[in-house]
Amino acid sequence: MSEFQPGVTDAFSPDELSPISRKQFLGLLAASAAFAATGCTDYRDKGEIVPYTRKPEEITPGVANYYASTCTGCSQACGTLIKTREGRPVKIDGNPDHPINRGKLCAKGQASIISLYDPARLRAPRYGAASTKSGDVSWDDADAEVIRHLTETRRNGKSIFLFTSPAQSPTLRNLLTEFAATYPGTRIIPYALLNDESRRRAWEACYGAVPLPVILWGDASVIVSLEADFLGTEGFSIEQSRQFAAGRDIMRSTRFNRLYTVESGFSLTSANADYRLKLHPSAQTAFVYALLNEILLRRRAVAVPRALQAAVESHDIGNFCARHGVAQDVVTHLVDDLLASRKKGIVYAGPGLPEETHIAVNVLNDLLGNTALYSNSTTEAEGLRPASSREVESAVAGMRAGLAGVVLHFGVNPVYDLPRSFGYAEALKLVPLSVDLAEAESETGQLCTYMLPVNNALESWGDYQVRTGLYSLQQPVIAPLYSTRQREAILLHWMAGQTPFVETLYHAYLKNHWETRIFPSLDRAVSFEAFWNASLHDGVVPGQASAALHPPLNRTVLAGLAVGEERTTMMLSWNEGPFTGDGRFANNGWLQELPHPVTRVVWDNYAAVSPATATALGVEMHDMLTVETASGSQTLPVFVQAGMADNVVAVSTGYGRWNAGPVGSGVGTDIIRLFPGAALNGGRLIPLVKAHKASGRHELVTTQEHHSLDDTFVKDFHLKRKIIRENTLARHLQDPLWLQREHREYDSISKEVEYHGVKWAMAIDLNKCTGCSACVASCNVENNLPVIGKEQVEKGREMQWIRIDRYFSGTPEDPVSSHQPMLCQHCDNAPCENVCPVVATNHSEDGLNQMVYNRCVGTKYCSNNCPFKVRRFNFYNFRDYFADGYYLQEPVSLVYNPEVTVRSRGVMEKCTFCVQRIMEARQHATEQGVTFNGAGVRTACEVACPAEAIVFGNMNDPASAVSRYREHDLAYHVLEDLNVRPNVTYLARLRNTHTEKTS
Amino acid sequence: MSTALVDYTREEEVIAGRTTASEIDAVVSAPLDRFPSRLWWIAFSVTGTMLGIGVVSITITVLFGLGTWGINEPVSWGFDIVNFVFWVGIGHAGTLISAILFLLRQRWRNGIARFAEAMTIFAVMCASIFPLLHTGRPWLPMYLTPYPNQHGLWVNFTSPLLWDVFAVSTYLTVSAVFWYLGLVPDFATLRDRTVKPVKKVIYSILSLGWRHSNRHWHHFERAYLILAGFATPLVLSVHTIVSFDFAVSVIPGWHTTIFPPYFVAGAVFSGFAMVQNSLILVRQYFTLKHLITLDTLEKMNKVMILTGSMVGYAYATEFFIAWYSGSQFESFVFINRALGPYAWAYWIMISCNVVFPQLFWFKKIRRSIPAMFVIGLFVNVGMWFERFVIIVTSLSRDFLPTSWGHYVPSLIDVGILIGSFGLFFTLILLFVRVAPVISLAEIKSVVPGAQPHHHS
Amino acid sequence: MGNPLHSITALFASPDALVHAVQETVKAGYTRYDVHSPYPIHGIGHSMRLRTSPLGYFALAFGLLGAFGSVGLMTWITLVDYPLVIGGKPFWSWPAFVPVAFELTVLSASVLTVVTLIVFYLKFPNNSHPLHDTPYMKRVSSDGFGISIQSDDPAFDEASVRAHFARVAGTDIAAVYYDPEMIDHGQKLFDPRFIGLLIGVALVVSGGTYIALNKVAFMEPFNWMMEQGKLKAQAPSTFFADGSGMRTPVPGTVARGFLPYAFAGKPAEAENNLANPLAPTAEVLARGRTQYLTFCSPCHGNFGRGDSRLRGQFPNPPTLLSDKVQNWPDGSIYHVITNGQNIMPSYSGQIGRDDRWAIVHYVRALERAQSAKESDLK
Repeated sequence: MSEFQPGVTDAFSPDELSPISRKQFLGLLAASAAFAATGCTDYRDKGEIVPYTRKPEEITPGVANYYASTCTGCSQACGTLIKTREGRPVKIDGNPDHPINRGKLCAKGQASIISLYDPARLRAPRYGAASTKSGDVSWDDADAEVIRHLTETRRNGKSIFLFTSPAQSPTLRNLLTEFAATYPGTRIIPYALLNDESRRRAWEACYGAVPLPVILWGDASVIVSLEADFLGTEGFSIEQSRQFAAGRDIMRSTRFNRLYTVESGFSLTSANADYRLKLHPSAQTAFVYALLNEILLRRRAVAVPRALQAAVESHDIGNFCARHGVAQDVVTHLVDDLLASRKKGIVYAGPGLPEETHIAVNVLNDLLGNTALYSNSTTEAEGLRPASSREVESAVAGMRAGLAGVVLHFGVNPVYDLPRSFGYAEALKLVPLSVDLAEAESETGQLCTYMLPVNNALESWGDYQVRTGLYSLQQPVIAPLYSTRQREAILLHWMAGQTPFVETLYHAYLKNHWETRIFPSLDRAVSFEAFWNASLHDGVVPGQASAALHPPLNRTVLAGLAVGEERTTMMLSWNEGPFTGDGRFANNGWLQELPHPVTRVVWDNYAAVSPATATALGVEMHDMLTVETASGSQTLPVFVQAGMADNVVAVSTGYGRWNAGPVGSGVGTDIIRLFPGAALNGGRLIPLVKAHKASGRHELVTTQEHHSLDDTFVKDFHLKRKIIRENTLARHLQDPLWLQREHREYDSISKEVEYHGVKWAMAIDLNKCTGCSACVASCNVENNLPVIGKEQVEKGREMQWIRIDRYFSGTPEDPVSSHQPMLCQHCDNAPCENVCPVVATNHSEDGLNQMVYNRCVGTKYCSNNCPFKVRRFNFYNFRDYFADGYYLQEPVSLVYNPEVTVRSRGVMEKCTFCVQRIMEARQHATEQGVTFNGAGVRTACEVACPAEAIVFGNMNDPASAVSRYREHDLAYHVLEDLNVRPNVTYLARLRNTHTEKTS
Repeated sequence: MSTALVDYTREEEVIAGRTTASEIDAVVSAPLDRFPSRLWWIAFSVTGTMLGIGVVSITITVLFGLGTWGINEPVSWGFDIVNFVFWVGIGHAGTLISAILFLLRQRWRNGIARFAEAMTIFAVMCASIFPLLHTGRPWLPMYLTPYPNQHGLWVNFTSPLLWDVFAVSTYLTVSAVFWYLGLVPDFATLRDRTVKPVKKVIYSILSLGWRHSNRHWHHFERAYLILAGFATPLVLSVHTIVSFDFAVSVIPGWHTTIFPPYFVAGAVFSGFAMVQNSLILVRQYFTLKHLITLDTLEKMNKVMILTGSMVGYAYATEFFIAWYSGSQFESFVFINRALGPYAWAYWIMISCNVVFPQLFWFKKIRRSIPAMFVIGLFVNVGMWFERFVIIVTSLSRDFLPTSWGHYVPSLIDVGILIGSFGLFFTLILLFVRVAPVISLAEIKSVVPGAQPHHHS
Repeated sequence: MGNPLHSITALFASPDALVHAVQETVKAGYTRYDVHSPYPIHGIGHSMRLRTSPLGYFALAFGLLGAFGSVGLMTWITLVDYPLVIGGKPFWSWPAFVPVAFELTVLSASVLTVVTLIVFYLKFPNNSHPLHDTPYMKRVSSDGFGISIQSDDPAFDEASVRAHFARVAGTDIAAVYYDPEMIDHGQKLFDPRFIGLLIGVALVVSGGTYIALNKVAFMEPFNWMMEQGKLKAQAPSTFFADGSGMRTPVPGTVARGFLPYAFAGKPAEAENNLANPLAPTAEVLARGRTQYLTFCSPCHGNFGRGDSRLRGQFPNPPTLLSDKVQNWPDGSIYHVITNGQNIMPSYSGQIGRDDRWAIVHYVRALERAQSAKESDLK
């Protein structure tokens, strides 16, 4: 009998258990491991190789080519040097041979490359709303139709209206005249919202019909900037920045120029001022008069015409200061300096000021002999003169009256950027045939009969003249991507009538115009072919040097002039959007995401008001404010800007476009509807009828937190924490070691790593950096940075590798601004490296703190441990995330730099010191068989910096500029006490104020 | 269990009444035999739902990226690491009870050790979700381990995060082994009790064929002792290393040497709170009041007031050092904690961790089930906020004011937090159904008269 | 009842009785016996004369293994295999090794000790022991205290053992027999069921691994940055009609450093205006030689004799040694290479400008070498 109870053992068969006992289990493990190993082996196809069938002489796959051309982003027409890879443009920089911009290019020019690859571009001719049909149309049909209308119009005596921007292209001007000749009754209306008419008219009033002068900013020792942003958006800002910065180059001389700004808003120029006075714009004329009066009093010696005397004597400077709460002592310094540095100072009024102010300024400069700073060798070249508001008015009236048979929009967008008071859009609807020659659909194109797609600037030929004695040429760097034609060629084709279109039409015309008109005037010894090719090669053509003549000032000019009434009531003061211009860059994500140089706001414009005015209006940051002018009313979000003049609402153009493309439509607020027609005549001041708080709230997104200036909790941290070191020039000269004395060497428990051979370092001169953000844009393009969109920036996930940090100190009424480009400091003792568990970031032999993207798992620990917070994390695949993958569409990927990894989601990234450029140079040296000492390697930001504030190089080479910077008395590192040993050296900022006595 | 070296006859009994061994078997294994009650199913569906929420949130995170969370620059660590540290902390009570109290001959631990160990393991499982999930590319966890790979790269042994990987995985493994070893004899007992064939097979496999032979007990006890000996420094090391994540960095508010002891104390603090809370429920539900006695709970409360006060002391010390160091960064960070944008979190932390536990000085409250339950709850909340304060306030305002930021958790963050609690309690609910919540062998060995009286 | 006897078991009332019985059993000289109780009875090891368990030594050994193993690995990695500068620290930053070393010590010590215990001391898993499923076992695993004396004890005799138990107040004295199924239960490594299982598992594992590593791992959202969108040299492009990512420059444009050849189709001008910028140095000739042998020799022959290697698939060019060519100025040869002539295409795309001039030198050298005059020997 069994001892087991029934029902127990039968179910319990040990065989089910014991077979898989440990030995067997191990065997099983081994076997499966072996199988698994085989499972891992696989060949993944890495794609095919498509070589050239006939390789062009200049192209070697993998090696970049450079083409000299011209930037058409704005009226400055800077010379560009375009980098192409295998015949595709990938980067735009300045042309070093161009005498005006000297190899530098602004943020707009840098970022404009993506417009070429913008998916929103028109790819074929298309019917607009004014047409009965819709969708695409063939070129032939469109041409036939247009030509028919053109001829008809000519026949039945109607006229053809051609709206264009004031063209600086000699050949285009010639073409337009010929077009007018071919089609009589053609009215050419050049206009520009952003014009300099008040200055020009004032100039003519003072000196007669001579072109505007070219100011030699570099030679100025005192600069007084009235309501002007000459370092930002006005005039030849690149050249002005360079020359201004050259006047404060501590490495070259200890004599600095001194900048006074007197303005209502807070411009980039003010951020660089030694003295800043806030003044209601309408009081500027009176201010200049007061200056004149004071100067005349102080210098009785010179004989001054009674007229002038009489005009200004009623303006006592003391009263003025008292009346407007302007700091008396500063004004005294200002007058002293102007007198002390006659012939070496310049008073400069902004385009926003009315004619009379400019006249007074001209008189003041003349009186002080500052005309000596006007270049004798060259003047501004006269392009097409922008139409006055009256001319535009009559043109639009004509359209409304049915006098227009055809309206052509030649690269302008009047429906958006003409003041609405003209009623252009309505008038346009009454025109039988309207054509928009544009790269992409726009507010205007949408209402036309035809939208004819034109070449991007990088696909176009052209020539430009912005100064006498200087031409610059534009050549295409890639064949048209789509079935587009060059704007000029379309006109030529219509002039020629029914002949088949040829791609080279305008190229031939341009060449011919040069051969017949311009080349002879240059009397060169060489053949035209040789000359032409050489010119294309260089990109610039020095014209015949015509001495600029400065006729004597008509000193009675002030006599008849009325000082505009100093109404300190509410005024609207508008200026050019720092990166969106007149709205043409609205669809450029890179530019939309560039923080405003002063307010750091992205993706928006706003109504900037002073704290006091904000209180008066009962609004706070992000509230909505309705402003009403005689021409219209608009509601904008409020930005409370410390240091602004009271009773002024400052707004920027370039926003609020409603048909700019997926990126730009509906970004910001359209303010042009507030403008009167007279805006076209210069002057950017509009009296406000009403301004009151509106309901609702609009989150303005900034890339850095704003702390109220009187919050003692966080006040002046940038100084307390030794992030920015500042002093005055005078004090520095008295005690040059003020900074080095604080410097301490720290002991380390371990031996410092030694770097033999090349070791990379950067130096940034805070005296020269103007904070223009060109470096940021350049970095974005060079390093394939994504656009992430407003709401991601709001979350605090901006991706830019280099940023401009802006700090305020002082009081909300009178803030002092400092700024500092901040990028990866490539610390020797990098805290980020210690904490990365997977060694995805570590140090290279040449001292770079490098990121191994495909090793990074994205713990973000490195970013946490970075004292400078310069690391950037791909929280999403932003290209996919932004605007529903707008920048994932073809052909955007063509803009990527082939030498730089396109980072995926979940990967940390940061400034690499442009390691791809370093490696290229190293490789080149190896090819040449020379030892690589790091000379000639320049980072993208360094190349872009107009002020030449950034210096990069090999610190182990005593001859290199960067090592000289590192040894300078003003050299310091941010947060030195952490002993992370950064390799980005900053030169402390010196303010050129009167501190000789006080020190 | 090596009660061999102590004379228990002179100690007060740890279990109430004269329960016989077979009674213990009956009462403890009861839940394993009977079909789950409605109450259990309700609880299970609740925790299951929470777990589901977590799973959905995690899926979204993996599909779309960390952008779905609230983190940003500069606050690149948010709920993820807060939860990680929180759960690891919870996981400290178990091993502490089963190992350290074991070495200290605290017999009262025998009733709660098994359950506490289980909680340890579950808590560490919850914790280990987060380090994996907080990486931008969670499909590359193997990069965190030193194995020969196509990059030729190993790992960075200077990174505290890597130390975490080793510490947490070691802790999980050793705790699991410790737990299982203790379970083997009990599985044997269950094997011999059960009449259900399937259960029998399962228990047979789990019990490895344990025969209660004293020749085995002999080695078993020695191994158990050794394991306890190793687990003791281990449990202390784990939160020390977790604290290194912060202490080793340069960020003001993180870069402090006080962190290791402070974190360990905090961990034990929160761990005991969690064990106490759960045990109250378990003994209520499974009527184990006489095995998990009020005395035991009171002892746990005593431990809590001790560790709680240590934590409070640490808070004070931090402030003192911040001022004493003279470092403007340090002092700013701590003023900012108490008065800055996250002051609310800071004051929740102080009140829950330092103020409320002081009530345990009163015996009445120490021995009042509802009171101690509520306080335990508070402690858990407070300790969660402690981690939140440490991580978020320090990061949101570090060196450069221009890169200061603000952290707002997203729904996904909350979802994953809920999910982790869901996972934890689901596992507990399953555990109480499949394994004895009280160590049979251990509890029997402390039944009155369980040991021979004379010693030859 | 043919089953062989395994042991005789008896139960005892209390721990005290058990201890007493054990002492008696030992006195009686039994050695192959075992004592069972639901929990360890204190002091019984002493009564059973058991030696202290040596597991401690194993733990020590395993601990040392972990400690030295981990430190060794880290040292090798950071010093030998892949030294990296991290945060400016020395390669061998030992303080940072402490945590990992500690954890691995604890890990190996505790886990391996337990493994040793189970595998070598308890000889587990073993579910086929005769004592299993006996009423005896059911008691001792709950509340019973028992002794079993095995039949293989030298002093074993069923009757006397039963008597012995009776003497020491043992109850429920019973015999335990082997279950024939369980006798001689060796490892069935070649049990077909086991082999089948092995293969099955292996297939599943390897298949799973293959799919996971080669398919799943490359699906969205897993991203390895292998497809980056950017166009590298010679990469295909779906955007351009010709499928190539590489474009050709627009006619008439001039890239920096590439002024177009001025004398295209104007041999006469080339002849007059072009001069060789390079000096015929050794390097230049060497360079010319490689270029010549690469690009020219297929048709012109290695020595410029016009003896094509193409075996008439392509008309043979005239020799380069003719007086005509010898009398050409360098410019003309350069022109022919650059511009092409008759059916010879332009080589400007393949051969760099300096290289062309180098080739010219080399051709000169070839001519000179193969029509050497007396004077050359001097």
